[in-house]
Amino acid sequence: MDDDFARLALAAARKLGASYADARLIETRTESILVRNGIPEDISTEDLSGIGVRVLAKGAWGFAGTTVLNRKEVTTTAEKAFKIALASARTKHRGVELAPTVAKTAKYKTPTHKDPMRIPLEQKLETLRQAERAVAAESNEFIKNSTASFKTEKERKLFMSTEGAKIEQLIIWCGGGISATAAYGNNTQTRSYPGSFGGNFNTAGYEFFENLRLVDHAAEIAREAISLLSAEKCPSTVTTLILDGDQMTEQIHESCGHATELDRALGTEVDNAGTSFLTPEKLGQFQYGCDGVNISSDATVPGGLGTFGFDDEGVPAQNVPLVKNGLFVNYQSSRETAALLNLPGGSSGNMRANSPLAIPLVRMTNINLLPGDWKHEELVEDTQEGLLMSTSKSWSIDDKRLNFQFGTEAAWRIKNGSREEILKLPTYTGSTPDFWGNCDGISHDDWQMQATRCGKGVPNQAIYVAHGTGSARFQTVRAGII
Amino acid sequence: MAMSLDLLYGISENAINLAKKLGADQAQAVVSTHVKNTARFANSQINQNLSTRNNEINIKVVVEKRLGSVKTSLSDQKSVQTAVRYAIRKARATPPNEMFKSLPMPKEYVPIPRTYDRKTAECSPSLGAEIVNNAIETAHTSNIVKAVAGSYMTGSTSFAVVNSRGVHADMRISIARLHVTVISAKNGSEGFGSSESWARKMDEINVSAVAQNAAETSAKSVQPERLEPGEYETVLSPEAVAVSMEHLGASFKGTWYQDGISFVKNNIGKKVLDEKFNLKDDARDMSTLYVSAVDGEGVPKRPVSMVHAGVVDENSICYNSYTAGRVGLQSTGHAQAPFFVRFEEEEEDIINMIVSPGDSSTDEMIKETQHGVYVSRFHYVRSVNRPNVTVTGLTRDGTFLIKNGELARPVHNLRFTDSFLDAYKNIKMIGREQVRTQRATVPSLKIAKLRFSGIAE
Repeated sequence: MDDDFARLALAAARKLGASYADARLIETRTESILVRNGIPEDISTEDLSGIGVRVLAKGAWGFAGTTVLNRKEVTTTAEKAFKIALASARTKHRGVELAPTVAKTAKYKTPTHKDPMRIPLEQKLETLRQAERAVAAESNEFIKNSTASFKTEKERKLFMSTEGAKIEQLIIWCGGGISATAAYGNNTQTRSYPGSFGGNFNTAGYEFFENLRLVDHAAEIAREAISLLSAEKCPSTVTTLILDGDQMTEQIHESCGHATELDRALGTEVDNAGTSFLTPEKLGQFQYGCDGVNISSDATVPGGLGTFGFDDEGVPAQNVPLVKNGLFVNYQSSRETAALLNLPGGSSGNMRANSPLAIPLVRMTNINLLPGDWKHEELVEDTQEGLLMSTSKSWSIDDKRLNFQFGTEAAWRIKNGSREEILKLPTYTGSTPDFWGNCDGISHDDWQMQATRCGKGVPNQAIYVAHGTGSARFQTVRAGII
Repeated sequence: MAMSLDLLYGISENAINLAKKLGADQAQAVVSTHVKNTARFANSQINQNLSTRNNEINIKVVVEKRLGSVKTSLSDQKSVQTAVRYAIRKARATPPNEMFKSLPMPKEYVPIPRTYDRKTAECSPSLGAEIVNNAIETAHTSNIVKAVAGSYMTGSTSFAVVNSRGVHADMRISIARLHVTVISAKNGSEGFGSSESWARKMDEINVSAVAQNAAETSAKSVQPERLEPGEYETVLSPEAVAVSMEHLGASFKGTWYQDGISFVKNNIGKKVLDEKFNLKDDARDMSTLYVSAVDGEGVPKRPVSMVHAGVVDENSICYNSYTAGRVGLQSTGHAQAPFFVRFEEEEEDIINMIVSPGDSSTDEMIKETQHGVYVSRFHYVRSVNRPNVTVTGLTRDGTFLIKNGELARPVHNLRFTDSFLDAYKNIKMIGREQVRTQRATVPSLKIAKLRFSGIAE
């Protein structure tokens, strides 16, 4: 990318007296395709280009961004960021300090075999059409809504700072999924593959989407959606619960991912998403889960949607343990928040923004539950009585990330080590440390990176993150809330 | 500074002309400009402060029933041409969409005056910081106040819609919002309170009142006690009612109705809610925030009575031109307009909801309650079962036990899991004062029961 605009912005900020400034010049193209009930409903592309300039002056932050890219506008934007920083300083009673980082000159590109943007639209549409028709073919009578979708994004980013960093990155991701909605009277049930809300996505080339083999799973999800119409409701009980990888993604995201964001723990999200029960005095002291629970924030793992070379402060991607043998050992942090707690490792490299118009925040990258000793089927075979829940459907958690309640698309009763009948409207609830303290089995054979979308901040920034996980088993869980 | 309407129209018309020249049967261009200033504060100081300017075009072309759409930021002069050419290429590569009937025909509309306030649209960083400072200082009136947080947002959105069938429409609006959260602390216990105000003119926001409300609730919320989960008579603040309307209101989207996930489908002509309950969506009602004469397709906004005396019917549904066309109806003017970003981009916009007022005050509702719960705010409410509007979520920033007609004591946040259809079947009292929130203008409600399923200690 041409670095003229970024240099211009930094020069303008420096001239005005900024103690620090960085500029992110970004070009993003997103392509979405949705086939629903045989109709190509959404064939859209979204392009976004712009620059975001962050300035530190008199110990306070200012940020300005624009989609208009010419020399005059870029200079004005940097000047505006400086003025905003001076305005912020009027309420300041503690100045911003940044944990050190090495200013790098570097390039990073997502490893890919096939560029998803170069695959002809006709080819993608045909793949989706075949998958959607295979879902619909299961039943004219009960399948009322069948979908197949694909999404890809290519983001070019240039980060430069007054400390001398110059980092160019090209991040590519793609993926998709299918869904079947069966209906009879007031009863509507949906099953999805390989995950709900659009499927699964990886930082990878088109080969990832091909390997999802949507057509091969179409009949199964359609049959399960139909079975749910006549299924019993998930019983209200306290039981042994096995969650599959897709639901574990949501469990990790809400109860560990958000809980270990340092900005929340320091109170800067209290007006919106809330705080965290993992307050600073608990760092290194608090038993978050049982001994077998190991969770990391890993921006280096192949395929994750939070995988990159550097975060949006120019800090290198890292693999940081958050929970080690059940003990809470670290936060996800930024340069500013790491300095506030004087964290020995500095920033964990978790600052991300969803566009050039957004200010970077402490965000999840890939929050992974490390594999355990079990195979998925062994978890089932070892369970005398319990429930297996699959595929995220609803999620809610309190503002300290303690009390949660989740719902999944489907559940199966487990009896004497065997998966029995399917159950509809499954839900379960718990309190984070109790729940993770009762985890007694984590699988390794179905471990994979699963994407999910995350909202945070004011204005809200939706961003994709990922979680590496297999299935896991939890004892004494309250299920069947509705 | 935002682009002028003349400039927006000029870019839209150029895009349409180019699309027609390249072979499009129909084309629509929505050009918009957004300016957003947000000062965010926490721990009683500004910690994030930003200003952004975003100009974009959303072009949709139709070539023999084949659709292609491209949205792009207007970063330079080539952006529009590139977007139009790309949209045409995409449409040609796409199979026909037989459900698509046509882009809308032009219809006359009466513009709405005074939706734009220049001072709000162009609020300077120093003025924004002054207002935040005022809010923080006002909230710090008591020595138990530990920290003040929130955000102050000002800005504007303007858009012009032009299509090849003659639609020529525009809208310009300014928006301001102040949200304040106060944390109080006493004897090692924390209490939370929050308050917010939305307006089209920043001068209409009473900064001191917002800060004081939040501070008072937070002071009353310290040292909460445990309340056993169960069914309670409940008084919901307007802010809590507004969140419930977002869930109830989604059932009136044409998309949901046609997908079979709306409760309306199987209840046509039935009284499904309390007969005192009336809900409409009316974008020309000045009490709502995003007042607008036209939708994102340039179709005049029509008021839709969604619930009348507790009854829903076929006319309760809100359509855009695509979902209306699928069933041979006319759009009600509910295509998404580019006011803000949504997750569900293709669904209808129901953002001007109004719940009719009643004749009670919130104090009277509390006075009339022997044993119940007062909810200041809901948090993280999510659908559990869409077809019967069953949701789960928590209370936040001030939950109180009502005993013998008074707020007896603060209680820990509660989780509720219930169907809003069930909860609003028996509404005991409706507030006479309506409060404007982002997507709904609503009163407080007293309901016979809400099922609290858990506790967040």
